[in-house]
Amino acid sequence: MNHLDHNLHLTIPFPNDRYSEVAVKVLRPDPILRPEDFQVEYKSKGNLLEIDFKSVDDRVLRVGVSSVIDSVKTIVETIDELDYM
Amino acid sequence: MVNLNTVLPRNGRNYYLALGLEGSANKLGVGIVKHPVLPEHEDGDLSFKCESEIMANIRDTYVTPPGEGFLPRDTARHHRNWCVRLIKRALQEAGVKDPSRDLDVICFTRGPGMGAPLHSVAIAARTISLLWGIPLVGVNHCVGHIEMGREITGAANPVVLYVSGGNTQVIAYSEKRYRIFGETLDIAIGNCLDRFARTLRIPNSPSPGYNIEQLAKKCSDKERLVELPYTVKGMDLSMSGILAYIETLAKDLFRGNKKNKILFDPKTGEQKVTVDDLCFALQENMFAMLVEITERAMAHVNSNQVLVVGGVGCNERLQEMMGQMCGDRALGQVHATDERFCIDNGVMIAQAGLLEYRMGQATTDLNETVVTQKFRTDEVYVGWRE
Repeated sequence: MNHLDHNLHLTIPFPNDRYSEVAVKVLRPDPILRPEDFQVEYKSKGNLLEIDFKSVDDRVLRVGVSSVIDSVKTIVETIDELDYM
Repeated sequence: MVNLNTVLPRNGRNYYLALGLEGSANKLGVGIVKHPVLPEHEDGDLSFKCESEIMANIRDTYVTPPGEGFLPRDTARHHRNWCVRLIKRALQEAGVKDPSRDLDVICFTRGPGMGAPLHSVAIAARTISLLWGIPLVGVNHCVGHIEMGREITGAANPVVLYVSGGNTQVIAYSEKRYRIFGETLDIAIGNCLDRFARTLRIPNSPSPGYNIEQLAKKCSDKERLVELPYTVKGMDLSMSGILAYIETLAKDLFRGNKKNKILFDPKTGEQKVTVDDLCFALQENMFAMLVEITERAMAHVNSNQVLVVGGVGCNERLQEMMGQMCGDRALGQVHATDERFCIDNGVMIAQAGLLEYRMGQATTDLNETVVTQKFRTDEVYVGWRE
């Protein structure tokens, strides 16, 4: 069993609780390809999106984090531009 | 009996409106399609006659420099950069002011295709689905092509030849599935053309296949064909050997390798073959293979209609050869569409997705919207056909 001892915690503030919940729901369904090397957990706490990464080494961590940040960017842009409510 | 009006339009409208998002390869497409509610759809196999109205059909292609193909990571970045802008433009064009009220369903490509580009579009699809409170349908890309082709051409039950950069399949409908009769055993025909275009270092704009088609038209002696491997394997095809062979020829041609007797006259050293001849020979050879297996599929299912879909389906020479074969069979017809619908687009995803939605096959559970690189045509339950 690998030790997932390379960790990172991200806190991303959204304008309101609804948006942070949307972000969690959008991100959560995608499976992690190698769960023995890399794990992610998404939580919404009020208006905050909290993401916990755990990984076997720095390289895997960096790749995983940057891919999640790319997705978060898409979500933020979509909320900014396409929420008509 | 098929009832296409199983799920009625939202908010008491007398029409359906679907948004389609496509991003399985290097094209990002957003389309909006409108279906009127028709009483005859309550009881009948009429999914090829939806009287679809195309409200918007926008596409942005990620074009790479000559000699280069598109890589998943860069393509995904392109889609992420453009996705929201294209959705916005499509809504404007279609005159949709409040999507949460005016749309019935959001359709996106769930597969098959490149993982990263598919995923980047799926993220946007999930987000707007949650923001607007509208259900999602994850569409099989191949089924999207088929349904768009049927709707545009009005072909009720054709044998489908699906030829594109990622897929080469001969498909016929039977018992609620689109069944694959024959397919490529290795690379797709469009992939073969694209990679040959890279060897020739011709531009990828508007598409590599289009540029090969133009070169092939310039071939001066169409009677003398450069011989290439002809690799039909039962109902299946193999294309990688042809590619390797013709790439060797092209490289010998560029290097001026006079030892190659196919390209140069052994006595005088005079060049016998041009790049145009190679393009022509490649097309003739591969299209003949496609026509052969398509004809056999038609004989199997007793059909006299062929529908050609997918990016390579725009090729006029392929359409012509298919037409000749159909003409030789009693009253055969070939149906094809132009580049707006042949090449990947969002409208086709909206069309197929809306049919699924109308049969009650939509979802609000995001766990069912995970994209998949491998998603075979016959995995889809075709509820909208008899």
